[in-house]
Amino acid sequence: MTLPAYFLADLPPDAELTAQLIVEASQTLKRNRARYLADRSTAQLVALLDRVGRDWLDPGYPLRQLALAEGPNALGFSRETLATGLDDFFRQLTAENLHRLLRQDLGAAEALDHPVVLDSTGEPRRRTLAVGPEFLVHIAAGNLPNPTLTSMVLGLLTRAAQFVKCATGTALLPQLFAHSLYAADAKLGACLEVAVWPGGCARLETPLFAAADCLTATGSDATLAALRAQLSPATRFLGYGHRVSFACVAGDALTGGRARQLARAAAVDVAAWDQLGCLSPQVIYVTQGNGLAADQFAELLAEELAAREQTHPRGRLPTDLAATLASRRAFYAVRAAHSGDTRVWQSPESTAWTVVYEADPQFQSSCGYRWVYVKPAPDLTAVLHGADAVRGQISTVGLAAPEEQAAAWMTTLARWGVSRVCPLGRMQQPPLTWRHDGRPALGELITWTDWED
Amino acid sequence: MTSALSNFARRLRVRIESTMRDASAPAVTVAGTPASLFPDDEFDAWALALFAEQFACNPSYHRICVAAGKTPGTVEHWTQIPTVPTTAFKEFDLTCLPADKREVVFHSSGTTRQSPSRHFHHAESLAVYETSLWTEFTRRVLPGESEEVADFQLALLTPPPAQAPHSSLVHMCETVRRRMGAPETSYLGCVHPEGGWTLNYEQTCSRLAAACMAAQPVLLLGTGFSLVHLLDHLASRGQRLSLPPGSRVMETGGYKGRSRTLTQAELHALITARLGVPPAQIVCEYGMSELSSQAYAAETQTGPREFLFAPWARARIISPETGQEVRLGETGLIQVFDLANVFSVMAIQTEDLGVRQAAGFVLAGRAAQAEPRGCSLLPTPP
Repeated sequence: MTLPAYFLADLPPDAELTAQLIVEASQTLKRNRARYLADRSTAQLVALLDRVGRDWLDPGYPLRQLALAEGPNALGFSRETLATGLDDFFRQLTAENLHRLLRQDLGAAEALDHPVVLDSTGEPRRRTLAVGPEFLVHIAAGNLPNPTLTSMVLGLLTRAAQFVKCATGTALLPQLFAHSLYAADAKLGACLEVAVWPGGCARLETPLFAAADCLTATGSDATLAALRAQLSPATRFLGYGHRVSFACVAGDALTGGRARQLARAAAVDVAAWDQLGCLSPQVIYVTQGNGLAADQFAELLAEELAAREQTHPRGRLPTDLAATLASRRAFYAVRAAHSGDTRVWQSPESTAWTVVYEADPQFQSSCGYRWVYVKPAPDLTAVLHGADAVRGQISTVGLAAPEEQAAAWMTTLARWGVSRVCPLGRMQQPPLTWRHDGRPALGELITWTDWED
Repeated sequence: MTSALSNFARRLRVRIESTMRDASAPAVTVAGTPASLFPDDEFDAWALALFAEQFACNPSYHRICVAAGKTPGTVEHWTQIPTVPTTAFKEFDLTCLPADKREVVFHSSGTTRQSPSRHFHHAESLAVYETSLWTEFTRRVLPGESEEVADFQLALLTPPPAQAPHSSLVHMCETVRRRMGAPETSYLGCVHPEGGWTLNYEQTCSRLAAACMAAQPVLLLGTGFSLVHLLDHLASRGQRLSLPPGSRVMETGGYKGRSRTLTQAELHALITARLGVPPAQIVCEYGMSELSSQAYAAETQTGPREFLFAPWARARIISPETGQEVRLGETGLIQVFDLANVFSVMAIQTEDLGVRQAAGFVLAGRAAQAEPRGCSLLPTPP
């Protein structure tokens, strides 16, 4: 299947982008927005997104088929990992969830349509209207599509013209999602642009940034700082820095058949998107309790990762990345040979998955690609002490604890700086209402106009 | 430690030196020293003997082998000998020398603030190191000129040993200097107050200029970054030297963030442009503190430079996925089996990548620092 050339990302790879092209695209997008998008109702947009979400879940949907056919080569994920990731994302994209998001972030589902009285304020004589940006630019970093696709959904809800700039080699899924929106409603598709170039190309970025009134970006602190420095003070900048995640399993939860279930859930989290996302657990802490000990849980997790590899193989790695995994393994094998404080379980004849048990509770960054550390800790206090080096950079904690313990742990984690706590097994499946890094993702795009009557 | 290792060391030195006198052996060519100087069967016998001794005398290595289920009783060929990753030298004492015999230690030149590798030596192990080094150095860097080494003006772009006592590269330079009978003033580098290496630029330039005046060929040894420092300095003064015919450059090591980074071809082109030394007279060296033998690569007409170890060391290129040797032309991790590592560990796994060739390998970078393609924090490797 060849895609019609609706977007810059559809052009042949050797087609050269020019500043002039960017200027013209920006003007066209704004014009189309005024003509086709600015006056749409939320209900219309929600219905459209709901329909597109259902399309993507349909195994026969051509764009999904294309994503699964080309994704493994283009993005490095296996077909099964990709399919699961897409399902997890598009299952969230429903009218019901979109309404929840609107109510959560804006107080009322129709706040973008007309001035509303917000119940929560108790001010009957003040109405308020949410207004989205005119021209929203997304600087997408990784090839995990979820953050970019979510940004596109949110931008559409706010009636913004959108320009999605993808890093080289990562555009496939944003591009196909844009095509699905175009297919569902060509006029809305005409308010969207997807392009690819290596980040930092001033020739293209200067005119693009000059046209934007809002810019979202994911990336390293240095990338975000460099982007922010290029923007005029009038342009709203929403940067999402690098984050890491870990899991915390109460030893009391690891009893009977529940231990196996939790190992399976942890394996799902480690395997999702080959552990390349901010939400993927790098370390799994197991606290002391009357169930399995950490090293026993590590062994169960290894079995479940081996099983996951059978159904959802890890993607193929370039040699230099595989070499990194092999080198790390060789190092840990030496440690394990010297002390029972380190134990290693690993896929045979491949680098597909690795579980390292370490008695040292110090947080250790994984190199991704399904490499996970399991560490014991006496209690949650010891966990947080071990993770102190990454405090402030944690996104998600996957939690498995008896109910009476979970609420107390959640409060402790929140006050320590964790912005999302979810059950083990759902770390890479945040709901549409997820407050990205603890901030209202939709709400931050909005400017409010208050009407005091 | 048993006297068996000492005996091994003595015998190996004799054997290495004998390769210089082996009149029946095929000639050494630009491409490298023929492995037939140390035939496979013979290498295998030496390697298995050394493995047995190191298994017995190196407690850390003993644990590694037992954990890997490979012991002298089960290993039948040198390719089955368990390798130790270079990173393990940072954390464990991988040596057969008891603590009171560790007279010298070579450190890896770290690119980070992590603790460096430690490779312990004593007089006997340094004697093997020096025999291995000098024998192959004369063959690969000074082919055909071993009788007239004294005619070279030696220029060493490293600090002298007193300033860098733990650098195996400096020890290499010192060995070359002493064997050539060159003065201590051959060192043109120094350690600057922050700990990095720099050059005495004025001294370097005047030394090279004097050699030009005297028409005395120069033998210049340096790291990639020290050569870049020198070449940039010459460029800043608009200076081009034309070192006398017969001059040679040996460049080694990477840049480690200490200068701008050039490709090999760019560096060699600059050396030719600024120093007047043609590519055929530039030799690349590959070595590390964890080894006692070196690989060299000369210019070829057919493709990228191919590194070949001294014949008493063998490189294998293994797939990081399977641990098996890759096919010709494929890329993998470089393992080195170095008989001259008598008192430490013979079998080393590096973090460098190589493309397997018929005899040697082409360097192909290092294991990536695994930058996640998503948005996770960068990993901090052990």
